[in-house]
Amino acid sequence: MSATETQAATLLSVQNLSVVYEPTGGEPVHAVSGATFDLGRGDFVGLVGESGSGKSTLGFALTGLSKPPARIGGGSILFNGVDIAGMSHEDLRVQRQGGFAMVLQSGMNALNPVRSIRNHFFDIFAAHGHVGRGDREARAIELVGKVELPAGVLDRFSGELSGGMRQRVSIALALSLEPQLMIFDEPTTALDVLVQHAVMNTIRELQKSEGFTAVLISHDLGMVLEVTERVMVMHNGLIVEDRPAADVLVSPQHPYTRMLLSHYGDPRAEIVEVPGLAARGAKRAPAVSHLKTDFVPVSDEARARAAGTEGVQRREGRAAREAIVVSGVSKVYPPPRRGEKPVRAVNDVSFTLEPGASMALVGASGSGKSTIAKMITGVEHPTSGTITFGDLQVDRIKRRSLKRLHTEVQMVFQDPYSALNPLHTVEYTLTRPIVNFGGLRGRDARRRMLELLETVGLTPVEQFAARLPHQLSGGQRQRVVIARALASDPQVIIADEPVSMLDVSLRAGVLALLDSLRETWGVSMLYITHDLLSARLVTDQIMVLNQGAVVEEGATASVLQNPRDEYTIRLLDAIPHPTVGH
Amino acid sequence: MTLTDKSPDQKPMTDVAGPAHPLAVLWRAVTTIWSVPKARIGVVMLGIFILGAVFAPLIAPYDPTANDFGRSEDMTAAHLLGTTAAGQDVLSQIIHGARVSVFVGFVAGLFSTIIAVLIGLSWGYLRNVTADVINFIVNLFLVIPALPLMIVIAAYLQNGGIGMIILVVVITGWAWGARVLRSQTQSLRSRDFVTAAIFSGESSFRIVFREILPNMTSLIVGSFFGAATAAILAEAGLSFLGLGDSTTISWGTMLFWAQNSNALLTGQWILLFAPGLCISLLATSLSLINFGVDGLSNPRLREGAKR
Repeated sequence: MSATETQAATLLSVQNLSVVYEPTGGEPVHAVSGATFDLGRGDFVGLVGESGSGKSTLGFALTGLSKPPARIGGGSILFNGVDIAGMSHEDLRVQRQGGFAMVLQSGMNALNPVRSIRNHFFDIFAAHGHVGRGDREARAIELVGKVELPAGVLDRFSGELSGGMRQRVSIALALSLEPQLMIFDEPTTALDVLVQHAVMNTIRELQKSEGFTAVLISHDLGMVLEVTERVMVMHNGLIVEDRPAADVLVSPQHPYTRMLLSHYGDPRAEIVEVPGLAARGAKRAPAVSHLKTDFVPVSDEARARAAGTEGVQRREGRAAREAIVVSGVSKVYPPPRRGEKPVRAVNDVSFTLEPGASMALVGASGSGKSTIAKMITGVEHPTSGTITFGDLQVDRIKRRSLKRLHTEVQMVFQDPYSALNPLHTVEYTLTRPIVNFGGLRGRDARRRMLELLETVGLTPVEQFAARLPHQLSGGQRQRVVIARALASDPQVIIADEPVSMLDVSLRAGVLALLDSLRETWGVSMLYITHDLLSARLVTDQIMVLNQGAVVEEGATASVLQNPRDEYTIRLLDAIPHPTVGH
Repeated sequence: MTLTDKSPDQKPMTDVAGPAHPLAVLWRAVTTIWSVPKARIGVVMLGIFILGAVFAPLIAPYDPTANDFGRSEDMTAAHLLGTTAAGQDVLSQIIHGARVSVFVGFVAGLFSTIIAVLIGLSWGYLRNVTADVINFIVNLFLVIPALPLMIVIAAYLQNGGIGMIILVVVITGWAWGARVLRSQTQSLRSRDFVTAAIFSGESSFRIVFREILPNMTSLIVGSFFGAATAAILAEAGLSFLGLGDSTTISWGTMLFWAQNSNALLTGQWILLFAPGLCISLLATSLSLINFGVDGLSNPRLREGAKR
């Protein structure tokens, strides 16, 4: 970073830039149009938008990494006064040293598993020749030190490092070229909540100490507002807001920004509310409807129609009667490698999911929450302890009785993109459980299938029934997944991070749907998440898991308002919060 | 980079596709293969061979078994490729020989693919002792060298004709395909939609054949063309060694007789060259089509793998 004073204050100047996707045999799509902005030296700018908004496309274009079918359709990118929009590959490669670098979301998977971390650094030094042979070791140690890693990391291989460490290594690698511009594309999205927070802090401190210009691309407006000075909001390929972070927070101009902001809240607050999801007070008796009228997905009409059918009458007769009782359950996995200790995923966990209750199971990744879900649903067997559901002994369930268990206990999956078979229509996917559990055939099954679609708010139902998963958006897919879980008329729904893969604006809708279904159908729900805000919104009880053991439990509101355990406090602190910013 | 999710929940309703008709699916597969230039060449070559085989009696100038011509004649206008040592017209034999090769290729390829699918999928899906047993059997078939095994079986069954050759090719040819399909099944098995199917109360059989199998179409089609190529080569090899029924007319038996009559020493190189070229061209056409099958791999499947 030398001679910055002698150069102009503007590092990057983007004029009227547009990026077009030209897929073979398809209509060209304008992913980015008319982007115009300047980046000053040492700026830290956030670029926020939901999936498909064009934010990553813009980031790739800035670093000259656009690949076919993406093409820069027009405009200029002046980097230090040189237009890089039309530069050749080799010129760009040379530019990267002392120019620009990019850290990707999956950057941590970009490390070569058979080369040590030291070799990764040396490869870059050799390719650009900016570090003398004798200085390489010292420089590598210095770089890993900057991202708060010990020098011993250099001898390790990527497989031996955790996700957070690998992402730090990839940041250090990007730093090794002494870039003037760093672009971070969702650098922490693939990481665990607590690690996310730590890596973000490192990035912020590095930016301050090294003085490079940084662009942080993220879907999480809260996090961006917290760490950056200036925020650009993208929507449908257009930059709709470009103002200092503090201004965006206080007086957002564009309705889209306002909508994004409205979805943040503090789980510690007395009353927590997001649009579409009614407030849940500190005290809340179960089975009392708190849903306000502004909630659309389950229309009164649909409910009335559903009530007239046999299926739902049967439902009312058996609204969750049985509790899931988990007592002293542990799960030990065999050691990953010879000579290592066995992995204790769940350690002596006991709880009861009362009929009709909604309980949150929170914890960072690796806390054992998904393992508990697998054991409750009979997919895995506990090493010790018992799980019962009514008269079913779930902990030793056989494949034959599994079907009986799944009639009553259903699951909503985390990833709506992989939970639906890409080759089956919505109709087929929903009809199968209706046929298997309800014994309905032909027209009856079809009518029930359409009812389910209406229940989850996918109307017009006939059109959605005929669609294939790739013709649905993420939120719509998750609704189909929920509808499938409801098809067997279950008493219990296990929701494993049902909204973590969805855009912020879609989360509230899916959560409201789950909550209202619980209220109107009287099902019990076990809500598994790392997101304390959503836990606060849809559950009454909470259990905090750390390394397989329960560290805190109680009523959701009181636990989150007065956390006692240190781990709960850390989880609460890790939540990005727009009001904390600069 | 999800451009398809541009405006979630407000997707235009115009792109609604009904359940795909089986013929439409087939047509789309054909057009996908056709769009790859290499595969297009393969399709044309294969088409010529199939047409030749089907209409052989109409195209061939003489009866391939008629042996009342001059012996070992050179290429003349009457006999474009000359005659054999037994006095048969070589061109007519080549055209009729295509029937056996194409038939054996497709039937043996089909049967070994069916066996590979059945064994590979259940092997990949099951996690119990049965899987270990299958593992042992498949490894056994993979370890034994195919050609010697074929020769032993064929010699044991004694001149059984085409049926015997198909049987031998199927027995020795399914194991490799089963292994490939098994590993793909194992990776698909851990996908959420398979777990979700268990939650929908589906039987294992249905999960394997309705949820997993359709996601491997391109692999199975590829495996079929690979097996068909191997079958054509194996048929030619066995017939050349005289292990088939030497009275049937196939490219392999033509080579066998040409070798027996020392065609190369008498200067009738065309007797060896023509059937050899045909065998390699037919095998090449199938391999070329396989390039297109690679491109067939379902775009929706790729969408599922992204993120």
